[in-house]
Amino acid sequence: MSVLERLEQVFHNVFGNDQIRLTDQTTAADIPGWDSVAHINLMFGIEQEFGVQFGSSEFAEMANVGQLVRWLEARR
Amino acid sequence: MSTEATDPVAAAADAMRRGDELRQAGRIDQALGQYLAAAAAHEVPPAALCLKIARCHEKLANFAEAGRWALAAIDAGDDFSTWQAAAPLVQKHAFAERAPLRSIRLAVLGSYTTTQLVSALRTALARVGVAAEIYEGNYGQYRQDILDGGSAMYGFGPDFVVLAVHQGDLALPQISSDPAKDVAAELDRWTSLWQALGSRSKARLVQHNFALPAENAMGHLASRLPGSRPFMAAQLNLEMGRAAGNTVSIVDCERLSAMLGKQRWFDARYWHISKQAVSLAAVPLLARHTAAVIAADLGLSRKCLVLDLDNTLWGGIIGEDGLAGIKLGNGPDGEAYIAFQEHILRLAQKGVILAVCSKNNDADAREVFEKHPEMRIKLDDIACFVANWQPKPENLRNIARQLNIGLDSLVFVDDNPVERAAVRQMTPEVDVIVLPRDPAQYVAALAGYLMFETSAYTAEDAARAEQYRARAQIAQLQATSASIEDFYRSLQMKAVVAPFNDVDLPRIAQLVGKTNQFNLTTRRHTLEQLRQFAADPACVHLTMRLSDRFADHGLISVAIAFVREDVLDIDTWLMSCRVIGRTVEAEMLKHLCMWAAERGCRVLRGTYIPTAKNGMVAEVYGKYGFTQVAHSAGTTIWEYDLGAKGPINNTFIQNGVAGGFTHERA
Repeated sequence: MSVLERLEQVFHNVFGNDQIRLTDQTTAADIPGWDSVAHINLMFGIEQEFGVQFGSSEFAEMANVGQLVRWLEARR
Repeated sequence: MSTEATDPVAAAADAMRRGDELRQAGRIDQALGQYLAAAAAHEVPPAALCLKIARCHEKLANFAEAGRWALAAIDAGDDFSTWQAAAPLVQKHAFAERAPLRSIRLAVLGSYTTTQLVSALRTALARVGVAAEIYEGNYGQYRQDILDGGSAMYGFGPDFVVLAVHQGDLALPQISSDPAKDVAAELDRWTSLWQALGSRSKARLVQHNFALPAENAMGHLASRLPGSRPFMAAQLNLEMGRAAGNTVSIVDCERLSAMLGKQRWFDARYWHISKQAVSLAAVPLLARHTAAVIAADLGLSRKCLVLDLDNTLWGGIIGEDGLAGIKLGNGPDGEAYIAFQEHILRLAQKGVILAVCSKNNDADAREVFEKHPEMRIKLDDIACFVANWQPKPENLRNIARQLNIGLDSLVFVDDNPVERAAVRQMTPEVDVIVLPRDPAQYVAALAGYLMFETSAYTAEDAARAEQYRARAQIAQLQATSASIEDFYRSLQMKAVVAPFNDVDLPRIAQLVGKTNQFNLTTRRHTLEQLRQFAADPACVHLTMRLSDRFADHGLISVAIAFVREDVLDIDTWLMSCRVIGRTVEAEMLKHLCMWAAERGCRVLRGTYIPTAKNGMVAEVYGKYGFTQVAHSAGTTIWEYDLGAKGPINNTFIQNGVAGGFTHERA
């Protein structure tokens, strides 16, 4: 599975919605229900799925999914 | 594209992949078929697969199955993301078609962000059959919620209040010159909260105690410096436990954090970002344990552990390897089986009944218990011993019948996955513990099962094995007695009937919480309510202790009745199933008649409210001369005219000296 597909699965679990499709341009504003709690759950879900750790402010500073994918790919 | 797979694991992976393709193509029912085929290859299917199955069922409007598979997902482990994904499915569908065992209103008040805990707690409660309506307090507002009698929390009317707090909230200095005083002051801050809640609400309080942090600037010195904060925090946990007694439940977060690893329990980044004092990785574990404590308070704990023998209590097969050939006590495997037996005995000591269910010749199986020098569990520890060649589900039904408990009180442990599958399929009420391959891991597997959690430890718990063994002996005596009257007399029963007292309240609450069969109204009064009944002058409240020539059965029956002008109205009447069928009910009615007369009542009134389990007492009032005066929706009201009929009597049970009618009311 590609990084983007694995990310989609994390999003499906966090938002309880398996219709979510991600692109490089997707931002928080595009996903209904992306509030501060979902943000934390997402950060944790991604850390578990990819075995990575974000710095305290790193995840919040990502502009869109594309930037997140590149960050994850750099750590594979 | 699929290849012919011979390995079941590879075949399951193939089926899962085909399922994904079909789902993406919108062919949900075909996708479900593939997913179910993949799941069939696993005894405990992986969480991700369970979630896919649950979602397919939801799309196909099979809501009960969606709920069942969402719960199966959390059985696969304590992965937070799985729990997060399962939560909405569980919330919508867990009780879509099956009624919960209990419904509660639960307030969660926290000193940190509890959103995730609340969601996980709802899921964990659903897993043990409890439907919860949950009020979540505002962040950090737990004191205001409790101290302000007009708070929204009181408006919600909770049955349970969980205080989800963390060590950062402790007002303890890094170093104290008077640690005893500081600990006492901090303890007082918490017990005052408990008292404030108790004075305004009947809710049962469930307090999370304090997980000490991994980091400790004092180092090892803290362990011998009573004035250091870590020392005082540990002291506070102990003092809190002592103060809690039977009135407050405690979830031992200090133990849970140590078990998981304190560096995983607390993740500084998540504290700084969103005030998570318990890391998300730890939330499912905390939720599961909090739910188990609540379930125990509700009387939902399981009563009996049913043990397989070969490769469960010892290594090898007694029928083939013989007494000298089985592994027990020698070598690493033999040591592991001993450790497992010793853990089982510790469960028995706190009141879990033990039974044996083994496919063996009876004599072969018993010989190990009688003759093997390393056996820790003895025949005397086993309340019901079944070794034969019948299917195990059938034997489990027999064990439940002989012990006079429900199948839903049994927990089955067996190394053989085929037997486990048969039990799951044929007797789904029985909980099944999956044993790993390595016997060294057996203790951890059994300890990870949480429904043996109990909310109090009473003298009855300690003597339970003896009582259940006595029950089997009595069944034999009954078979040899000439008449039923001879049988009753031969038991040499003695009863002590007395009003409630503080010492007995936990046992009374335990019986009120969990008695299902001989229970006329099944009203689940809380310990607090029972305490109030005991202080109410209009209330007649009685307990009965029973002994016979075989055993002291302890406190086995409870009655609560209210004086309403010239009627003594029985609110609650229940009896432990251990003593059914030996005129104990007549004995309690005799005492209720005496109390009615003493309180100037002309009539004894009884109510029967039917449940799924109490059919056995539908006619009990009629049997003792009561007349049915009203009925609606299955509930029947009965009256006994004391003036016209005279008191109910029972000549088969002697009254003990300390008890009976002459005993002073507490």
